[in-house]
Amino acid sequence: MSRYVLKRIGTGILTVLVVFVINFVIMHATPGDPINYLMGKDNHNEELRAELEAKYGLDQPMHVQFFSYLKTAATGDLGDSIIYGKPVSQMIGEKVGATLLLGLVSGIMALLLGTVMGIYAARHEGKLSDWLFSGFSYIMNSVPSFWLGLMLILIFASGLKLLPSYGMTSARVSYTGWAHIKDVLIHLILPAVTLTAILIPQYFRIAKSSVLQVTNEEFVMSLRATGMSEKKIFNKYIFRNAILPTVTIFGISMAFLITGVTLIETVFAWPGMGTLVLKAINQRDYPTLMGIYLVMSIAIAVVMLIVDLIYALLDPRIRYQ
Amino acid sequence: MHRVIEFMKKVWGFIKKDKQLIAGCIGILILFLMIVFAPVIAPENPHYYGPDALVAPGELGHLLGTNHMGQDIFSMIIYGVRTSLKVAVISALISGILGVLIGGVAGFFGGKVDTVVSEINNVFMMLPTFFLILLIVALFGNSITNVMIVIGITTWPSNAKLMRAQALSIRERTYVNAAKALGESNTQILFKYIIPNGIFPVIANTTMGMSNAILTEAGLSFLGLGDPNIISWGQMIYEGKSYITSAWWISVFAGIAIILTVLVFYLLGDGLNNVLNPKSGRK
Amino acid sequence: MEPVLELKNVSVTYKNAEKEVYAVRNVSLRIEKGDSLGIVGESGSGKSTLAMAVLRLLSENSAVVEGEAMFGGRNLLAMSQEELRELRWTQLAVVFQKAMNSLSPVHRIGTQFEDIYRVHEPKASKAEIKKRVLELFKLVNLPERVYRLYPHEMSGGMLQRTAIALSLLHNPKLLIFDEATTALDVVTQGQILKEVVEMEKTLDMTRIMITHDMSVVAVSCNKIAVMYAGEFMEVGMTKDVLSHPMHPYTKGLLQAFPSLKGEVNELKAIPGFLPDLSKKSAGCIFAPRCPYKTAACEQMKPEPVTLEDGRIVACLAVGGGKNE
Repeated sequence: MSRYVLKRIGTGILTVLVVFVINFVIMHATPGDPINYLMGKDNHNEELRAELEAKYGLDQPMHVQFFSYLKTAATGDLGDSIIYGKPVSQMIGEKVGATLLLGLVSGIMALLLGTVMGIYAARHEGKLSDWLFSGFSYIMNSVPSFWLGLMLILIFASGLKLLPSYGMTSARVSYTGWAHIKDVLIHLILPAVTLTAILIPQYFRIAKSSVLQVTNEEFVMSLRATGMSEKKIFNKYIFRNAILPTVTIFGISMAFLITGVTLIETVFAWPGMGTLVLKAINQRDYPTLMGIYLVMSIAIAVVMLIVDLIYALLDPRIRYQ
Repeated sequence: MHRVIEFMKKVWGFIKKDKQLIAGCIGILILFLMIVFAPVIAPENPHYYGPDALVAPGELGHLLGTNHMGQDIFSMIIYGVRTSLKVAVISALISGILGVLIGGVAGFFGGKVDTVVSEINNVFMMLPTFFLILLIVALFGNSITNVMIVIGITTWPSNAKLMRAQALSIRERTYVNAAKALGESNTQILFKYIIPNGIFPVIANTTMGMSNAILTEAGLSFLGLGDPNIISWGQMIYEGKSYITSAWWISVFAGIAIILTVLVFYLLGDGLNNVLNPKSGRK
Repeated sequence: MEPVLELKNVSVTYKNAEKEVYAVRNVSLRIEKGDSLGIVGESGSGKSTLAMAVLRLLSENSAVVEGEAMFGGRNLLAMSQEELRELRWTQLAVVFQKAMNSLSPVHRIGTQFEDIYRVHEPKASKAEIKKRVLELFKLVNLPERVYRLYPHEMSGGMLQRTAIALSLLHNPKLLIFDEATTALDVVTQGQILKEVVEMEKTLDMTRIMITHDMSVVAVSCNKIAVMYAGEFMEVGMTKDVLSHPMHPYTKGLLQAFPSLKGEVNELKAIPGFLPDLSKKSAGCIFAPRCPYKTAACEQMKPEPVTLEDGRIVACLAVGGGKNE
């Protein structure tokens, strides 16, 4: 087990390093020199240029530059936004909460719903419910998340006027306390439903195939030979064995989750990192873009590590090696 | 001529084994026809900025309406097939070739090369590739060529993983050892035996990759990073966003087109998987 | 005396969309109390299918089972699932081939034993169950710590012993070993067989061993039933059949096994292959491969004949003609 943990941590650290390398390479590979890029193409402020050059030590050999970049980033300094002048880390900090809210709620809902659907479909394989659930999953797999968001806005917001179409809070009124929470929740519904629907297919697929696979294993037949009730066999033995891949998928789906959150935030003008990304793209605010990429990658690496650890705890074959 | 018929019979025998594969192949055929016969099927040139802007579907001879620039939606959808398929095929080709070569080398030669490649694979699986693509396109320009290349060079890891696993098992086979004994060079063995025999799961995976490529390109366009000179469904949704409440048809039909096309590729990929890997499919 | 298990004209047919496979055809057999019967046959002879069918473990969608399997006065093949459930494990237990695959990989051995015990004694306390299990562990030479282990932490031999202990949980009347030692190395196999035979001296047990390995039967069974392509060719006391085989197939099988005493005799494999079981044959099922076949053999199916010493043989040469 400890070997497994160490190896996973090793890969995690390596991933973070790779992200740094990628960022560094991109900075130097873009047309024009990196300072231009950090300052913005049209900025001709000589003082700023001198300051940045000293800070990033551009006259130094590459590997020294790389290490100073690493050091700077490690202290939390991700540079400043070209457009707003604010430190990127601060901007990210302001928006992270909203993204986490949307992302976590949707991720967990998708895991629960998708897994339940998958288990049900596996137990009723070939029947109508299986076809319906599988069909739903297949289609959701093919739907662009942002388009689905637009459709839901069309139907529920402008069409039926049931739910708000953008933002996290009402623009006109400012609530506090419970009313505020309710306000946020109402605004959360459409984006969360969209994201959840998009994420369900992966959980559905893995749950269904896992349950089917485990049910066909020999030990299930052995248990039947003892006279154990189907109910007990399923609830305790099949379930416990089949649920393991779902845990793994949760980790792997993190990258996909982040992509989805970003796109959906732009559709619903949800004030999270996704909106930040959109603005940064439009304004070519590279430091912000790269800072976000860095933060996201590290976050994903950490989550995947935690998920792998949880998996190792759940699967005795790995826990006791 | 006779040979061609024999070949086609073989292909049909292969395809009809799985319903999804049949559906996928029919879909591909339809898409292919749409590509070839676009000028015939589409009533107008999609780039033509006509006089009727924001016309609703069915009116003034526009089956699916027009957008804010007067372009006929239906024609745009038809021509959009070309873009989507181009993106899908080219990025999948790049990703597939890279994956097969890297995975094949790693699995066949083993040792340090393998360890390094496997670690790279593991790392890439953690990274959010969409963001990387986004970053690169934002920096290096948003031409459709760029998009295709970037998607290709960021999605090879999954193909490499599959190819590597195949290479690991194939290199133990007798005919490979026989070839070695006969003095064939490693390169020859790699290209004559390892890759041709191990490529099947990669083909199925690449097909899934095509679906993802289409969705990725659509996502990029939606964020404003698309190529404005090309007709793409993602662009259409992007342009239609501002008019969603007044002219819903601009975005809606483009989305449906994406769904159907991506579905076709999924069916194809799933079907191929079912036929080529019978154990990994259903019971 | 009433037999523990009596099979009367049992047939098992696998049906799928394309064809029917007659895996077991019209098989009859008596197993008396205290017997240790070895059912021997090549792969594909139908021996495991027969056992699965009698235990009602075959999927009803793919297999049709006909005939009677009388156990304690009742027909196993006609019982409802409820009635069957009462018998399972309390009267009738199985030890499968790969014990690793017979246990859930993510639950401890002790947990699984407890759950299986409670199927029939739901009110039993943990302590009670543990006591019984440890008793059984001692019987099969397993250390107590196995109770807390997971399957992957144990060797093949330990797992097989665990499976045997599990099968003895409720002191069943009839125990079936389905290729239970096939996956083990020869040394471990020998040990386990010895332990089983020792065990039987203290327990009151009737046992069926299903195997393709003649030596397993020679060492641990008092009776032997030779099965080929879904039918019994010869049934009798082990020492009699092994020293004086009467059916050509039995003779052929014995010649294909090296002698236990180590004489260097030429091994002769039986030429030919198993027949296509999706077709019904008119004559003796072994005729195509039999070195003694006659024209009559290919047209007339030999009925099993019971000889004076209790031996049963299905061969025209031993008087098995249907219409004399």
